[in-house]
Amino acid sequence: MTIHLWQAFLIGVVYYLGQMGTPWVSLAGTHTIMRPLVNGALVGLILGDPVKGTIYGAAIQLPFLAWIGAGGAVPMDTALAGTLGTALGMASNVSPSVAITLAVPISLVGTMIWVLHMTVDITFVHMADKAAEEGNLNRIDFLHVWPPQITMFLFSVIPAMLATYFGAGPVKQVIGGLAGTPLHVLTVIGGILPALGIAMNLHAMSSKGTIVFFLLGFMVAVYSKLAILPIAIFAAIIAYIYTQLFLKRGEQA
Amino acid sequence: MSEEDKKELEEKELPSEKKLDAKKLSKRDVVKAFWRWTFFSHANYNYERLQATGVIHALSPIFKKLYGDDEEEMKAALLRHMQFFNTEPHFGGSILGVTIAMEEQKANGAPITDETINGLKTGLMGPLAGIGDTLWQGTLIPILLSFTISFAAKGNILMGPVLFAVLHLAIIWSIGYLAWMQGYNLGKEGIAKILQGSLLPTVMTYAQTLGPIVIGALSATFVKISTPMKLHLGKTVMKVQTGILDKLVLGLLPMAVTLLTYYLLRKKFKPTTVLLILVGIGVVGGVFWII
Repeated sequence: MTIHLWQAFLIGVVYYLGQMGTPWVSLAGTHTIMRPLVNGALVGLILGDPVKGTIYGAAIQLPFLAWIGAGGAVPMDTALAGTLGTALGMASNVSPSVAITLAVPISLVGTMIWVLHMTVDITFVHMADKAAEEGNLNRIDFLHVWPPQITMFLFSVIPAMLATYFGAGPVKQVIGGLAGTPLHVLTVIGGILPALGIAMNLHAMSSKGTIVFFLLGFMVAVYSKLAILPIAIFAAIIAYIYTQLFLKRGEQA
Repeated sequence: MSEEDKKELEEKELPSEKKLDAKKLSKRDVVKAFWRWTFFSHANYNYERLQATGVIHALSPIFKKLYGDDEEEMKAALLRHMQFFNTEPHFGGSILGVTIAMEEQKANGAPITDETINGLKTGLMGPLAGIGDTLWQGTLIPILLSFTISFAAKGNILMGPVLFAVLHLAIIWSIGYLAWMQGYNLGKEGIAKILQGSLLPTVMTYAQTLGPIVIGALSATFVKISTPMKLHLGKTVMKVQTGILDKLVLGLLPMAVTLLTYYLLRKKFKPTTVLLILVGIGVVGGVFWII
């Protein structure tokens, strides 16, 4: 599959809309589009096969399941991982597991774009300081929206567009030369990496009994072969009972 | 104080008393500010003051109504809110709801200082960021992802990305709206009441129980490691995976790797370091066909 320049541009725009904080889709909207699950489907749509894009996006989503951007720190750029990973994966026709392996290093490179944006925006804050001293509210409103968004548009669309347009060919060749053990290694890594997202999420909510509850969910899933949704419903019931008992005991103590 | 100054003061005091009910915010103003915040909070996110200009941009309609006819007060308000501010915007929106209530009282002559307003903002932004990010990015999003992802993996667009987007936005915007309006309606004391009450520990305990169970199921479904090794025992060949490991505990290897990763994170390894360790395990295991 070849990617046309206009498609590469649109994929760049999807990436821009998936940058945390791009106002046109709201903050929660960027937190929706930045998920490879969602931007994979959008990239698939642009490339003419949304179903395939969704499958790639779902796979690439896994290592970033518990991605949290807080306090101005963004550990990995999931929007770039999802858009480029899906585009390059579809263009070179590799398995979704291999696309995961492609996407993870991309996510690390992408954080540089975030750092650039967070640094350049400081300039606009200093300009807003001056406007505040003049009591010029409208100017602060202007500075808050337009200069950062114009720069961010350029910072995100240009690299993503170029990487999509020129990256597909080389990636295809490289993957072609990897048959045998190298491809096996990439697939193995793709199978392991979801553990990082899962463990990060576990870590973020860790408290008393975290591992016990984790093992409960794991064992039930492995032996019952139930889908996640019914397990989530059982989990909600268990959580309700536990919360009631736990807090009651706390009150008595 | 000169005669002229005194005169000016008297003149100033009179109209400000008259304005008492003139400076009332309508629900429309407060809702308008909410939507501005919901969309634009991070538009100029930066390393120096994070959401500072986002606060001013969101509260613009409030400032215009309260201080639009008083240049000095407007200037003071803008300088007051150019301070560092950073929180989780949906749950933390309650802080700005309270801020609006305080600005409204201040504009009507209540003795509220800059320090009180900024103290409230900086005092509450940390706790609400912690709670908000745990519940939103740490719990809501992964749970929504985990059941939509299994549909998406089979190519189901409607039950995958579309359902995720719809549920995510509907839930988090509702929470954001309620938090914002509650903050405004309850004012300063109200927020403290919620933070001290039993609602918060209940919600946190619930999330910390529900989350790990679902994540456990997720780990079992999506972490994929098995060994292709075979043992030659005389004439019989035994596959290590199906012959030994699966008979002990199903999913032993994925469980071990997930718990190892969790352990490393608890030991304060950086996520990127842990990532490299996992890649290392994959390379070594894959090259020698151990996994």
